[in-house]
Amino acid sequence: MSLTKVSLIEVVKKQYVYKLKAYSQVFISLIFLQLLAVLFSMNGVGSMGSTVGSVEVQASYFSSDFVAAFTMLWGFITAILITTKAYRNDDFVFVANRVSSNLSNAVFLLTTSVVGGITAMLSSYLFKVIIYYFFKSTPILDAPIELLLGIFSTILYVFLFCALGYLVGTLVQISKVFTVLLPAAFFGALILEGLSGKAGTVASVFEFFFTESSLVLFIVKIIVAAGLLFSGAFVLSNRLEVRG
Amino acid sequence: MSVIECNGLTKVYGGTKALNNLSFKIEENKITGLIGRNGAGKTTLLKIIAGLLKETAGELKVFSEKPFNSLQVSANVIFLHDQMNLPTALNLKELLETAASFYPNWDRELADRLFDYFSLNPLQYYNGLSKGMKSTFNMILGLSARVPLTMLDEPTTGMDAAVRKDFYRALLKEYIAYPRTIIISSHHLNEIEDLLEDILLVNEGKEILHMPVADLKEWAIGIQGKTTVINEWTQNTEVIYTKSIGIDQSYVVVRNHFSETERQRARNAGIDITPVTSSDLCVYLTSKTKGGIDDVFNKG
Amino acid sequence: MIFNLDGTKPIYIQLSEWLENEILNGNFESDQKIYSQYQLAEIFNINPATAAKGLNILADEQILYKKRGLGMFVSNSAKEMILAKRKNQTLKRLVQGIVLEAGRLQVSKEELIEMIKTADIREAEK
Repeated sequence: MSLTKVSLIEVVKKQYVYKLKAYSQVFISLIFLQLLAVLFSMNGVGSMGSTVGSVEVQASYFSSDFVAAFTMLWGFITAILITTKAYRNDDFVFVANRVSSNLSNAVFLLTTSVVGGITAMLSSYLFKVIIYYFFKSTPILDAPIELLLGIFSTILYVFLFCALGYLVGTLVQISKVFTVLLPAAFFGALILEGLSGKAGTVASVFEFFFTESSLVLFIVKIIVAAGLLFSGAFVLSNRLEVRG
Repeated sequence: MSVIECNGLTKVYGGTKALNNLSFKIEENKITGLIGRNGAGKTTLLKIIAGLLKETAGELKVFSEKPFNSLQVSANVIFLHDQMNLPTALNLKELLETAASFYPNWDRELADRLFDYFSLNPLQYYNGLSKGMKSTFNMILGLSARVPLTMLDEPTTGMDAAVRKDFYRALLKEYIAYPRTIIISSHHLNEIEDLLEDILLVNEGKEILHMPVADLKEWAIGIQGKTTVINEWTQNTEVIYTKSIGIDQSYVVVRNHFSETERQRARNAGIDITPVTSSDLCVYLTSKTKGGIDDVFNKG
Repeated sequence: MIFNLDGTKPIYIQLSEWLENEILNGNFESDQKIYSQYQLAEIFNINPATAAKGLNILADEQILYKKRGLGMFVSNSAKEMILAKRKNQTLKRLVQGIVLEAGRLQVSKEELIEMIKTADIREAEK
């Protein structure tokens, strides 16, 4: 029987199509999570009341940020999920090596980010419609260009979280020590910063990504960061064995 | 052409050597039986060949390439075992379609016909199948993929006798129609013996025998007779197994170095010469002591 | 025919004996093409290499002859060769066994010959 020649691109493509089908539960969880987020948002993110003279003003502030935040969290968890043994081993049932497996995972996560980003922004519209009917107030609608920008930046944020989740998941696959170490380090830093009252590493990292005003710089930042996180995961997982 | 070349292959798993300096070659288009006790290292070996595990030391070439992280090896090898992890979100039909997309030689018609013959339900999920049904489905994947190196680890786990028989026949027919290199690991040597061309017997991660299975039956013989006479005859030969019978009788399995005249002399001396079945021989060769389980009970 | 699978005799020897019987029974005439190794493998569910081994035994004994690219054919004197071989080897071995057993049972030569004669008469009466 003659040998089959394969190219990496070809295999990655096949694995990608396979993953879209095999990991379809991921998208179902997305829908549930976003609906949940919309529901949470109904409470209003904040409200303020003030009395100016004899006039009492009650302002409720609604935001669909919840949905975006939930979607990012979802991206993070999804990325961790697909690094777990069960998912990783699924790849090696058929044709794969570690490079193709990682690449197809990255492309898959990019897809989930796109889906997550778009649905997050669209569900914010759903939210606005609900607000309109229930609270009889006219929400501020974005201009189309702003909507597109919103979608685009949400996608990038979700993708960044996917990349982070992928690295975290890979570290955990290499050693279970990281399941304790990583959360401890994260929350430890957070608490320390809270106690000291100074903006530390965690805060500055958030600031670095979430307060960028230049679109181009923002894109570059995210792409470079995601690229670094993924390459880290690729290098680390290149020696990972497939154990039953 | 050698499909697999293995030189001093060693794999250490948490301090123990699952494979210990294993060397062998497997030639193209042969059916080889990988035989050994539980824990002999069969599955570890197959996993390294499939590129799932990385060897600790030694050299392994599959289609002249190192299998770990080789896409070429992965594309030309299919490895099926009884602890397969197939994606839980896909039903059996979708799994077949996925397999078809990965393997260019996939025979859709064969897969469908086998699927119908064994009355599998296309909408069922792999995890919901019984052990025997899982093995049956694995077999369909393995045969229909028509991959140059097909490795089946304990392929008949859980199958009933009728399905096992069908499986062996299907395997043989596929092999005759589309010759390929096949490795089957099994405990049931007597069942697969006739299908095999070669046998590779491993024990404690080492190679014990690698030879045409047809020669195995003449490799050793069993002799039985008066212990004193037997001891005389087995003085200069390698004893594989001994068992005492009754008061003064012994049954001994030895390497078959005897010429026809020697056999005749032995017969005349009242020694019974009998062939040893391949599966018995493999058990004797891989047991820790020459007397087998009896040694545990013989305290004296 | 189903082979004796208890493992006492190598399959390829059983196969060559089966082929000999086929020739003796007249199922294959001189210069007729005999089964290929793949046909035999299918018929008996055995590895084609084992089947080839069975065929090669007969080819080595010139009971069969090879035609390049066409397969194996039955020799002219195949029947005679098989008969002669069986007389010389199989029958001889069987007789040796009988004599040995007769010795153990203290059956005299004359008695043994008598037994063979009666066995033959019974055979004829059947």
